[in-house]
Amino acid sequence: MSKVYFSTWKGESINNIGKPEEEWQESAYNLPAQYDDHRESKAFIGWDGVALFSEDVDVIRLAMEYAAQYQEYSEACGRCAPGRWGGRILYDQLDKIARGEGAVADLDHLKEIGKSMQVTSKCEIGKTVPNPIIDLMTHFEDTFMECINEQKESKHYKESIGYIAKITSPCSDACPADVDIPGYIEGVRDMRFDDSLMATRETMPLAHVCGRVCPHPCEDACRRTNLDEPISIMALKRLGADWETDHGYDFFQPMEPKPKTGKKVAVVGAGPAGLTTAYYLASEGVEVDVYEALPVLGGEVTVGVPEYRMPWDKYLQDIECVRDMGVNFILNHNVSKEDMTRFESEYDATMIASGTRISKAVRCSNERPEIQGYWGAIDFLDWVNLYEKFDIKTPESVQKQQMLPTDHVDLTGKTLACVGGGFTSMDVVRCAIRAGAKRVVMIYRRDEKTIIRNTTYEEYHEAVEEGVEFIFHSAVNEIVDENDVLKALVIDKFELVPDPNGGRAQLVKIEGASETIDFDYLIPAVSQSADLGFIPDDWDLEMTSWATLKTNGKDYMTSRKGVFASGDCEYGPMTIVNAVGQAKRGASVISRYIESGEITLTDDEIMEDHLKKLKVYDKKEKVTGWLPGLPREHSSVLDTDFRRSNNEEVNLGFTQEQALSEADRCMRCYYIAMVQA
Amino acid sequence: MSKIINFKIDGQTVEAQKGETILQVARKNDIYIPTMCYIEKTSACASCRMCVVEAEGVDGFVLSCNTPPTEGIEITTNTVALEEERVNIMKLYDVNHPLECGVCDKSGECDLQNKTLEFNVGQQNFSAKDQQRKIEHWGLINYDPSLCIMCEKCTHVCNEVIGDDAIDVKFGGYGSTIIPKNAETLDCTFCGECIAVCPVGALVSSDFQYSANAWELSRIPSTCAHCSAGCSLEYETRHHGINTESTIHRVKNNFEFTSLCGAGRFGFDFQNKSVSDNAAFDKAVEALKNANAIRFSSIITNEEAQILQLLKEKLDVKLFNEDARKFSEFMKAYSSVSGKKHHSGSLDAIKQADGIIIIGSRIATDNPGVRYAMTTASRHNGAKIVYAHPIEDVLMQNTVTQFMKYEAGSEEGVLALLANTLLKNADVDEATRAFLDDLDLGYIEAESNVGEDELLNITKTFARTQNRVLIIGSDVFAHESAQNIAKLAATIEKYTDFSLVIIPQEVNTLGVSLICDLDIDENISNVVGYNADGDFIISALEDANLSVGALNQQEGTVVSIDNRLLPLNVAVEFKGTNLNEIVKRVGLEKENTVDYTEVLPSSSGFQAVNFDSLENFLDKYGNDTRGYILDEVETLVDGTLTAVADLAEFNGTVIYHSNPVLQFNSFTNTTKQLERDTTLRGSAQFSAAAKIVDGEKIEISFGTSTITRVFKLDPELKGTVALNPTFDINVAANEYKFLKSKIVRTI
Repeated sequence: MSKVYFSTWKGESINNIGKPEEEWQESAYNLPAQYDDHRESKAFIGWDGVALFSEDVDVIRLAMEYAAQYQEYSEACGRCAPGRWGGRILYDQLDKIARGEGAVADLDHLKEIGKSMQVTSKCEIGKTVPNPIIDLMTHFEDTFMECINEQKESKHYKESIGYIAKITSPCSDACPADVDIPGYIEGVRDMRFDDSLMATRETMPLAHVCGRVCPHPCEDACRRTNLDEPISIMALKRLGADWETDHGYDFFQPMEPKPKTGKKVAVVGAGPAGLTTAYYLASEGVEVDVYEALPVLGGEVTVGVPEYRMPWDKYLQDIECVRDMGVNFILNHNVSKEDMTRFESEYDATMIASGTRISKAVRCSNERPEIQGYWGAIDFLDWVNLYEKFDIKTPESVQKQQMLPTDHVDLTGKTLACVGGGFTSMDVVRCAIRAGAKRVVMIYRRDEKTIIRNTTYEEYHEAVEEGVEFIFHSAVNEIVDENDVLKALVIDKFELVPDPNGGRAQLVKIEGASETIDFDYLIPAVSQSADLGFIPDDWDLEMTSWATLKTNGKDYMTSRKGVFASGDCEYGPMTIVNAVGQAKRGASVISRYIESGEITLTDDEIMEDHLKKLKVYDKKEKVTGWLPGLPREHSSVLDTDFRRSNNEEVNLGFTQEQALSEADRCMRCYYIAMVQA
Repeated sequence: MSKIINFKIDGQTVEAQKGETILQVARKNDIYIPTMCYIEKTSACASCRMCVVEAEGVDGFVLSCNTPPTEGIEITTNTVALEEERVNIMKLYDVNHPLECGVCDKSGECDLQNKTLEFNVGQQNFSAKDQQRKIEHWGLINYDPSLCIMCEKCTHVCNEVIGDDAIDVKFGGYGSTIIPKNAETLDCTFCGECIAVCPVGALVSSDFQYSANAWELSRIPSTCAHCSAGCSLEYETRHHGINTESTIHRVKNNFEFTSLCGAGRFGFDFQNKSVSDNAAFDKAVEALKNANAIRFSSIITNEEAQILQLLKEKLDVKLFNEDARKFSEFMKAYSSVSGKKHHSGSLDAIKQADGIIIIGSRIATDNPGVRYAMTTASRHNGAKIVYAHPIEDVLMQNTVTQFMKYEAGSEEGVLALLANTLLKNADVDEATRAFLDDLDLGYIEAESNVGEDELLNITKTFARTQNRVLIIGSDVFAHESAQNIAKLAATIEKYTDFSLVIIPQEVNTLGVSLICDLDIDENISNVVGYNADGDFIISALEDANLSVGALNQQEGTVVSIDNRLLPLNVAVEFKGTNLNEIVKRVGLEKENTVDYTEVLPSSSGFQAVNFDSLENFLDKYGNDTRGYILDEVETLVDGTLTAVADLAEFNGTVIYHSNPVLQFNSFTNTTKQLERDTTLRGSAQFSAAAKIVDGEKIEISFGTSTITRVFKLDPELKGTVALNPTFDINVAANEYKFLKSKIVRTI
């Protein structure tokens, strides 16, 4: 809800012209009325209308400046005839009126060119730029006519006014890393895979990773869904990365690293958040040292995500791309409290990106870590992946504790239960199948629909195909052991009882339905928590109720000046792309902080946050100008019987034909949003 | 799910194959939808928006060039509303387009002008501030941004078909322009394809600019005479004034479906300008009568080859042509295993491929036609391309997915390793299995420097491919184990789904090899040279004892890499005589050279078709109707693979006979526009090994030859082999292209 003077946003019609401010009707949308801490917005103009927060706005100039944005700032522009010339004509005609030289016929020409742009432009930017301009011409016709009739300048024509614009799109807006998705898809469509990759790397250095294992929130905000099915956005990201790797190119870096500034930043953890922080800081000329506790780089994506989902040689390309930007990595360095204190004096800022590496308990009876066969998911996956990817053998102490017959995780003939429902638990059960377990069971409190929503359709079905059993609406009540060796689990059954008052349905235990099933292993994969023992006690950092580091979610600085946090240790266990998005923002804030000592956001970042609040994607919008019924492409996967017993990448990716046809479905829903502040 | 989609365009029931767009189906069915930016051989540029159509039940207009139809949809291509928008788009295109049509190089062959008239744009309601823009001079190409309509055809062909990827769109709305990609000035192979596809006068040939109006030029359809790709082209000629001879002003191609390299496009003026007198003619007749042998090059027509073969039979002379002889021996060995005369593949097969292995060629310069086909496969099919060669080629990096470096001389071993890999699960005959089982893989891998992991990688990356091609280049024809190499290639073709393309070196090496019965060249007396060395030289080149016309001055045919017989026509008249006139004096009777077209040997697959009934164009759907494809001829299968012998070793300063971009032979060497880089090009490593530095004048001795060159340090090259051009020297075609050499500095 925002207080507005006038609004046509998303079809609303609020007109408080001539009314006293206290009687103003409010807009139904989260419009950016307050630009930032010290600036109020005067107007907001975008693809779906215009909102004025003040009576004093020069509407002709506003329309003209919006057309100018399309001309000057849009990278997307210049790709079609109606947009290229039309955009310029809009601007020239509006400027002519604004400077007091307009004619009545100009209004007709504006409307005519506006209409042509709306129906024939290549992308939504060209189709939508005329919308708010025509709104203003219609609702403020008198103002336009006054300037034309009297041949006078619009009211603030020559004043210096701040107009701040940002290009967005529904998918980019939904992406935590704000990746230029239409840009990289256009690269695929144009078979300019280098351009595609560089569009990705502008805000996301992990193109191989997020082209494979991203849960793609963008696809839930794909406008194509309003027509038929969403674009397979994630899979198209892989094309550029594979192109670079297959052809043996040096890394296509979207920016040249700036000259060294002499500033230094320490990063704790070489996972997605740490890598991202390092990449963008290095591009700003900052010297970055990344400290990693493990003997390998990459964090959970390396030791958590299995080879068959994320091949190490591909992830290594992403990591090397980060190194190529000029980043220094220090392996096998478990950062201590003393280190952290030292970092404060030796570096200009510190980014904590240590993830969440402690498996949480399932909270059942007799849950004791000393029981052999009770094995935390993080530790379990560590040893599976270190062996499969790096040939690092499981140490004897772990072999003994977990009853392994050999120097790696071999579960031949064993039975294993995993409690979870997210990606980590899926990785556990599918790795267990590949490790030769004879029975693998996922115990999950909720239903099939929910597990698919929490992971992906493909992930769940591939696990089922490989032979994982899923027991839904169930939970472990008790671990049964003999002399501290796990023997069985008592499993309770639940049912979903609808709330008679229409509230959320409740899970209620079905009495007498519990059963005891024999198992050799229980892998808790319900969630993870952050291990922050390396932070000096006297820092007294503010924490969230989840026991993660607290920031304001905008600049990612903790309660201690110069100490930043991003990724899972800030947010709690979340997605790779979330970590990348936070770290990218954090790096941007740090790059200014180490120069000025101040915490600031760029206009682009402020606009990004405003638009996320406003939500760019509108699932109710009717899409026109596209032929519906073109199905989404699906890449093929390895044959089940073949893949069950090895670690080869399951998803084979698109064939070129599929990729090109999928890219052609993209509607290039770029929009321009602009604030007068 | 059926692959055919049935739908309607303007009430007419039509069908689409999977992957076809509405526009493609419309064109196939002769239904007109206007476009400004569409080009069939690339992905849709989708910039002009003229091709919008209406679809039943769908709000708004649908773009037909990149939208595949859905089952049962009814498309309307022309309504009042569509017409209105198309007119508006044309008005936009005309905003500030310079009114210099009178001096513009397009001179009426302009899509912008045509469409402006077609849509009857009689008035302009739109205006925008004009902008000052600078004309760019990029060597053979000039670019005028103010004429550019930003259709993006040029960037699409450059990247998707040619592979240079040398130009880019600089985005910026109204100020958008075409710029060299990642460079100050244009750095490319100068194929000129961007000029060909430019619908307006923005990209033009700097040589042609302001030299003629399009309507004054006569068009002569022919076939490019520079390499064996057999590209179709049109010479455009004009008289300079009254009573002057006509000359070629430029070359154009049917760019909608085909491509040309820069030699084809800019290297058109290789016609013979000198004429000999009657005395020379008489001497030539005498020389032929007394000849013990005729030595000739493969840069001649089939008809001339046929005449030479008849001369051999009539006068009992020997025929020397080492290039064609080596090729012919190679193909005979191939036939002895495959049981047929012609390789199975073609340029089209390469374009359709998603898995390609090429060995024995520096392909980008050897045969640009093959390179472009590979580029198309790479971009459009995501083809996995293995490039096996001793020297990496930067030009191929964006096409090649696996460079497999082998030691010079080890091609036989590499082919054997490939056969062993590709035939692992094939149902081969006993002898072949025995051959494979007996291979000393360890030795071959060590000597060729091709590792097991590289071969495994081929198996892995080719697992999903469905259309595979093996390409064999001309490096191997003079290899001492050429015949076993040919048999290995034939074996792979026979027992796998790979089709095979063997690249003939010269424009008509293939035709000559199919027509002439060649003898081993030897140093004997009374040799008549025909476009080659001899005691008496009849040639279209300089220093001839008797001048004859070049391939752009005569009618006749050649056989291309596709095993297609293709016609050549007279672009410029040659005032002198020709081979047929000479041989009439020694008893051959046909009136005209092209009377021999219909009697070319059917035993090699030629058809009894009269020259004048050969077509020479692509139809409106892009089907190649030129000439004919040679009939397949079965041969005796009596060849067996022989054990791989010791692989040759090349140590010291090794040179590789390889031409620079756009140069092929002594004819391209005579043309005005093509650059002539005669330097020996080598890497820093070579420079150190040979103890020579950039710019140094050197003397290179190899085999029996000694030549002088300037050394050029090429930072894009790696390794210990230097590239020595052959377009300006005579090299023995019976010598393997990698040669040990001695290099000394000269002052």
